[in-house]
Amino acid sequence: MTRPWRAAAALAVAILAAGCGSASSRTAAGNSPGPVPLSLTTAVAGPGATWAAVPMGAASGANLFWQLFMLPAGGSRWSLQTPPDIATNGALILAGQDGQGLIAGERPSLSLTFSAITTTRDGGRDWATLPPTSGLANAPDALAATPDGHLIALGGNQQVSVTGSAGTGWTSLTSEHALAATPAGRSCALTGLTAVAYTPAGSPLLAGTCGHAGTAGVFAYTSGTWRQAGPALPAALAGQHVQVLRLSRTGGSDVALLAVGTGTSAGLLAAWTSDGGQHWSLSPGFRLGGSHPVSVSFGSGGATAIVLNGNRGEVLTGPGASWRTLPALPAGRTLTLALPAAGTTDALAASGSTLTAWQLTGGSAKWDRTQVIKVPIQYGSSG
Amino acid sequence: MNSGINVSDPTVVAAFRAALAHQGLIALAILAVLLIVWVSIRQQPSAAGPGETPATGRAAGREPAGRQVLRIGFGLLWLFDGLLQAQPGMATGMPSQVIEPIAANSPPWVQHLVNWAGTTWSYHPIQASAATVWIQAGIGLWLLAARRGTASRLAGLASVGWGLVVWAFGESFGGIFAPGLTWLFGAPGAVLIYCAAGALVALPERSWRAPRLGRMVLAGFGLFLAGMAVLQAWPGRGFWQGTSGGRPGTLTSMVAAMAGTPQPRFLSNLVSSFGSFDRGHGFAVNLFAVVALAVIGLAFLTGRRRVIRPALAAFIAVCLADWVLIEDLGFLGGLGTDPNSMIPMALLAAGGYLALTRVPEAATVSAAAEPAAGEADILTGPGGGWRARLRPAAVRQSMATASLGTMISLGAVGVIILGAAPMAAAQATPAASTILAQAIDGSTTPIDSPAPGFTLTDQHGRLVPLSSLHGKVVLLTFLDPVCVSDCPLVAQEFRQAGQLLGANARHVELVAVDVNPLYYELAYTQAFTRQENLAAVPDWLYLTSSPARLRQVYRNYGVASETTPGGAMLGHNDIAFVIDQAGHLREELAFDPGPGTAATKSSFAAELADAATQLLRAS
Repeated sequence: MTRPWRAAAALAVAILAAGCGSASSRTAAGNSPGPVPLSLTTAVAGPGATWAAVPMGAASGANLFWQLFMLPAGGSRWSLQTPPDIATNGALILAGQDGQGLIAGERPSLSLTFSAITTTRDGGRDWATLPPTSGLANAPDALAATPDGHLIALGGNQQVSVTGSAGTGWTSLTSEHALAATPAGRSCALTGLTAVAYTPAGSPLLAGTCGHAGTAGVFAYTSGTWRQAGPALPAALAGQHVQVLRLSRTGGSDVALLAVGTGTSAGLLAAWTSDGGQHWSLSPGFRLGGSHPVSVSFGSGGATAIVLNGNRGEVLTGPGASWRTLPALPAGRTLTLALPAAGTTDALAASGSTLTAWQLTGGSAKWDRTQVIKVPIQYGSSG
Repeated sequence: MNSGINVSDPTVVAAFRAALAHQGLIALAILAVLLIVWVSIRQQPSAAGPGETPATGRAAGREPAGRQVLRIGFGLLWLFDGLLQAQPGMATGMPSQVIEPIAANSPPWVQHLVNWAGTTWSYHPIQASAATVWIQAGIGLWLLAARRGTASRLAGLASVGWGLVVWAFGESFGGIFAPGLTWLFGAPGAVLIYCAAGALVALPERSWRAPRLGRMVLAGFGLFLAGMAVLQAWPGRGFWQGTSGGRPGTLTSMVAAMAGTPQPRFLSNLVSSFGSFDRGHGFAVNLFAVVALAVIGLAFLTGRRRVIRPALAAFIAVCLADWVLIEDLGFLGGLGTDPNSMIPMALLAAGGYLALTRVPEAATVSAAAEPAAGEADILTGPGGGWRARLRPAAVRQSMATASLGTMISLGAVGVIILGAAPMAAAQATPAASTILAQAIDGSTTPIDSPAPGFTLTDQHGRLVPLSSLHGKVVLLTFLDPVCVSDCPLVAQEFRQAGQLLGANARHVELVAVDVNPLYYELAYTQAFTRQENLAAVPDWLYLTSSPARLRQVYRNYGVASETTPGGAMLGHNDIAFVIDQAGHLREELAFDPGPGTAATKSSFAAELADAATQLLRAS
């Protein structure tokens, strides 16, 4: 047994020891716990830049404005690069691109019911539009892109749509209902879709929640057929409910973050695949111990950073690495972790119209404040 | 349900005042003409017939005292309510500050019904508020002037009819379906008492001859008060405690809320003092209320004058104390519409008590001769059918023998019709009054210059030169397809304008130009068109083009757009133009949609439709 598997098994044992493991290994969908609410706050790192979507202004409503910050690769200062000419009250969904490119989807808000899509290739200096889609789902992985510009989107209505390259129009690929009716969907007892991604080869990859215990709902689309492509979990987790919280492409691989189990014995597992779900590497299990994840960010190479409630944070640098607990996170109404480079973790703490950037390098036990950005939020501009 | 416009909006207030002034002048003119005609007819020797002198008033009997108290008392109350309705803020404030708060605690079906009324009012605030003024003033005048006969009974019926309308829609049924019902705060609603009094006035006078009516009124009142005593004594409703868990009890918090409303300081001090007293002696205050209501109610039920007389005195004293200390006079805070329930209750009880006295037969007219001998009841006329009554000679005869009170009654009916007719006419149109749009954005600006030409691409990908729309009226605006607030509202207003135009819509083109030079692709104008359900509107065009070409159009039409940082939408001025069939700009409309309520959207739509209709009529 490899180290990750041993760790996962240890997590399973811990879950069972806590008495939360069900004696019957097959759990009906109706008994599944509800989805873990995950903030849309996130950061994605590409080869040329790291991007972070942060809610600022008011806590909710027409004066909540999502802001986009960019840190160039090798740089030390974040800059405000929120897409212009559109109100960002409804959150920004990020899909990283090569270089300093990014595709951003605007979630519906107020009277806007569809999602505008904008893209930049130069770190936010110039923006262009891509065809809008029906309202993006309330999920941080509701939008993904291939390097050559194919898009895949998960709508709030659980419809999955794709575009061709170069901004051609959207076409329907599938839906939660249709996928649930396929052999792959039936074997998982699919109850909802949570994420869309592309494999490095450019095939659609979907994630969802399975009603069957012990099954990770990841689906790959190849040759016109959906197949279940979720990582096989240790037998010890067979009775546990599994949710795919995130699914995203980072560099040459896809990374999934799984929530396993419920209650105080619940834990997290990260899984990486570079061949569209044929083979997965599993991280050691991380026992939540009653806490819950608030937001998740990814760095290049599959690094994963998690903000937990109570100003706690965990980082996993990639396949084969262990979870590392971060020093107490800086205070802020919202906090976004970013992984711009190996060994470096940035924390973006937002309160009102002020964003404070903190950095943790190497094995340091202390966050260093590196930057304060005042965002000119236009209170009242959205009605 | 409300229009969302400030209650003291100067445009609406000025329009309301102007409407009241105009209608007031007409009302005076009606009364003056009637009096002049009446006097001149009476001065003609032949008018009253050979050997007759014109009647100068009631020839026989005296009106029963109980009826007189109700008629005059409630006539004055209606007049006072009419005056209160003339407060400047009433036009826009009635739905938001009177109807909505009262309905807030009522069950959904009541709120639904009341919302309908509030929306109706907010669509036509000037007509609705003026109508209420004149209807209430008219009923009051009618009750005061028509002392006897059918005219007087009709005034009572009018009081019942309008009272029920106000009780249902304005008072949410007096709150009887809401929790916290208490006599102390006016249950079952002041206007329901008006209705009861109106019903009594509407009874034939012979009903007032015997003490039976008085006994029935007081017995009914007694049952009601006894029931209210039980309700007041009911545990768990918070009336027994001055404070509960550190929070004020039900009555204490009600009184504190009243004391906080705008009013003279001495009155607010008085009410606050009572609130403090209740906070410390909540149990005693409620015990007093329960005992007083129960004892007075039981006394009324006995039907014996000796028992009722002191009970009535006590009841009036309790009513006055409640009116001052708890109801806070009812009409001072905010937009008061009546002096609340205590004065009407005291009047009704007094009327019932006076009706206990048997009226001597000789003092009343016979049932058959209720319109006084020698006095034709001009509202119902002499016998012989309505055709006969409308003959000039019959009308002259009626007027010659009518009393001054009858003529004023006739004038009062005219005042009621004067108020109700514009509201009825407004109600017949589906659109809201354009005064709301004017209150938000001011009046339109007339212009006369050639509309700058353009050729842009519509949502279907077709090139559309402006010149190709010649022959049609063009309603033109500038919309951002990814706007989250104003632009969708403006689009709805354009869509509604198309609906209001009806068959004329085919002669009108509803045109928007994409005002966002980043989101200019067809996919965005199409998505916006779908979002706003405009795809099925045949004359809807959402035009776009390259950013450079769009900017040229913005410059030509004086449209300013500005990128603002921090995740804000594109800033641009909300503006609309009316272009006539020959391609000339005829009107420029500031088109900020304001609060975006159903009423304001409809008002802007009406403004657009009116502008287009005028041009179509002129052609």
